[in-house]
Amino acid sequence: MTSADITFDNVSKRYGAKDTEPAVKALSYTIEGGHFVSLLGPSGCGKSTTLNMIAGLEGVTEGSISIGGRPVQDVEPHKRDLAFVFQDYALYPHLDVYDNIAFGLRMRKMDRAELDQRVRDAAERLEITSQLGKRPRALSGGQRQRVALARAIARRPAVLLFDEPLSNLDALLRDRTREELKVLHAEVGATTVYVTHDQEEAMSLSDEIAVMSKGRLEQFGTPGEIYERPATEFVASFVGKPQMNLQTVTTTGGGLRIADGWEITHPHTLGEGRTVRLGLRPSECSVRRASDGGGLGRVRVTEPLGSHTDIALDTAVGAFRVRVPGFTDLRAGDPVDVTVDGATRHLFDAETGARLPDPVAVGV
Amino acid sequence: MNDTAGPRRRVDVGRVAHRVAVALLVVYLVVPFLWMVVYSVYPSENLRSSPMSFAPTDLTLAKYGELFGDSGFVRSMTNSVVVGVATTVICMLLGSLAAYSISRFRFRGSQTLLLAMMTVQAIPAIVLAVPLFVLMRDFGLYDSLTGLVLTYAAFILPLVIWMMVSFFDSIPVNLERAARIDGCSHLGVLRRVVIPLSGPGFAATAIFAFITAWSDFFLAKILTGPNAETLPVRTAAFQGLFATDYTAAATAGVITALPVLALALVAQRWIVQGITEGAVKG
Repeated sequence: MTSADITFDNVSKRYGAKDTEPAVKALSYTIEGGHFVSLLGPSGCGKSTTLNMIAGLEGVTEGSISIGGRPVQDVEPHKRDLAFVFQDYALYPHLDVYDNIAFGLRMRKMDRAELDQRVRDAAERLEITSQLGKRPRALSGGQRQRVALARAIARRPAVLLFDEPLSNLDALLRDRTREELKVLHAEVGATTVYVTHDQEEAMSLSDEIAVMSKGRLEQFGTPGEIYERPATEFVASFVGKPQMNLQTVTTTGGGLRIADGWEITHPHTLGEGRTVRLGLRPSECSVRRASDGGGLGRVRVTEPLGSHTDIALDTAVGAFRVRVPGFTDLRAGDPVDVTVDGATRHLFDAETGARLPDPVAVGV
Repeated sequence: MNDTAGPRRRVDVGRVAHRVAVALLVVYLVVPFLWMVVYSVYPSENLRSSPMSFAPTDLTLAKYGELFGDSGFVRSMTNSVVVGVATTVICMLLGSLAAYSISRFRFRGSQTLLLAMMTVQAIPAIVLAVPLFVLMRDFGLYDSLTGLVLTYAAFILPLVIWMMVSFFDSIPVNLERAARIDGCSHLGVLRRVVIPLSGPGFAATAIFAFITAWSDFFLAKILTGPNAETLPVRTAAFQGLFATDYTAAATAGVITALPVLALALVAQRWIVQGITEGAVKG
């Protein structure tokens, strides 16, 4: 199977007149051929619109999209050499599974022997050979999902597009299918663009993630880059579970003041007295019991999850989350101190939300 | 049963009342029709004698033979078939295309257009009868099948569009997107996905259009003379000023009603199927 680069050059999409707020704003980035890229963001962030523009289901208002080096704004969807897996699977209810998989091949006037070969190959790969004679109505959600995948890969397209394909499956099946998707991608090698609002899904599947918010690209990078060096406060708050602690703090000579009596060290170069936003990952923080009446905060609730426990605290700066390994003997109402010594300090501009430059060595 | 509890019994009473009401309604609707069938197959003397005689040996289809031998009657039947079929074809062709574009393409005023069409339906035909007559006469379409077909199409088309819009709306848009990516043009999507899927709705709507045109009396009476006369008009003509041939009228009535009855039975099945298919979409 071939794969193709997908390049966005200043792409915008507006649904209304010229002066309306665009649904997608000035996207410019390149998805490398054969890579698995997730478009991640909350609903309404423009990720599905972006996917539809790649597919040709929606037009581009400004800028251009190229697939394999060829601008595709004026190319019909079926001439873009891509396949699409829809959230609701979009299987043709009046055709059986075989014909569903064969539909796109027939439209391309493929000869019968090869068509049959391709349909059976795809069905075998997704373990649905025994379902070939059934109508979609007779299949479970998971099976329908597999038929949709088989239909997509039978065409052997250069680009595979997914629009939240796992969101209609139950949790267990979702985890299994996620794993299989990754294997499938490695096998077929097509450039894959995957829309999701689930950051875990995006992290676990992707070579790169494009995080979007309000029609804008917030960050494009590997899962590691996105998690370890979020480019904006939005990315910091959206990626990572539990959510990053984000507080407004004031810079001091050698650190940051979170609240009265709560200062942490940080060799920043921002000068004194500046207001910035500080992000701390819950898993990099720790708590210890404080003496009665003391401490920076109190335990509001603990959520033991087996391998770790999430602890929500009430502090002088509001809610604060900490994730500790294993179980804890802390109970709701217990006074605690918070330690953030080993935690990376993510600093963002209080106005723009953009990441502020890190000091050369992250202080402890 | 002794162990039947009070509330349960009340439910049963409600159910019985409901069934009785339905039975009465059916009797009210069906008896006149059955009486017409009886009238068409017994000699009128049997029914005028006292007591009436329903001897099976007297059963006869003579009147059916007589009517099918009457060239005037056969012509009115042919007229009805031609008008019904032509109206249906025109309405379904234009109606489904119009309904598809209203259902799928965003354009300014599409909802207003849909409402406007319904508003036209609120004007009773009798208000339009005289202007229509004048119009048809001036265009040389009085007493012609063309004139009748055009008139019916104008009345039925909005209803067809309304029905088809709701059927098209029930087809998930992603199916059409999938088909476009699989290689269909806009018209290909319509032919390979939308029409096969809206089959039951399409059939039900077509049957509705046919029945409406087939059974119309009022407009046909006003817009036709001896040439383009349709079955309902011809049937009514058996009721003369001084004498009425009840047997002939009843026989013509049965002949007119049978296709409608058959189509209504088929349509009912289609409509039910259409509803259930919509329920388990995808």
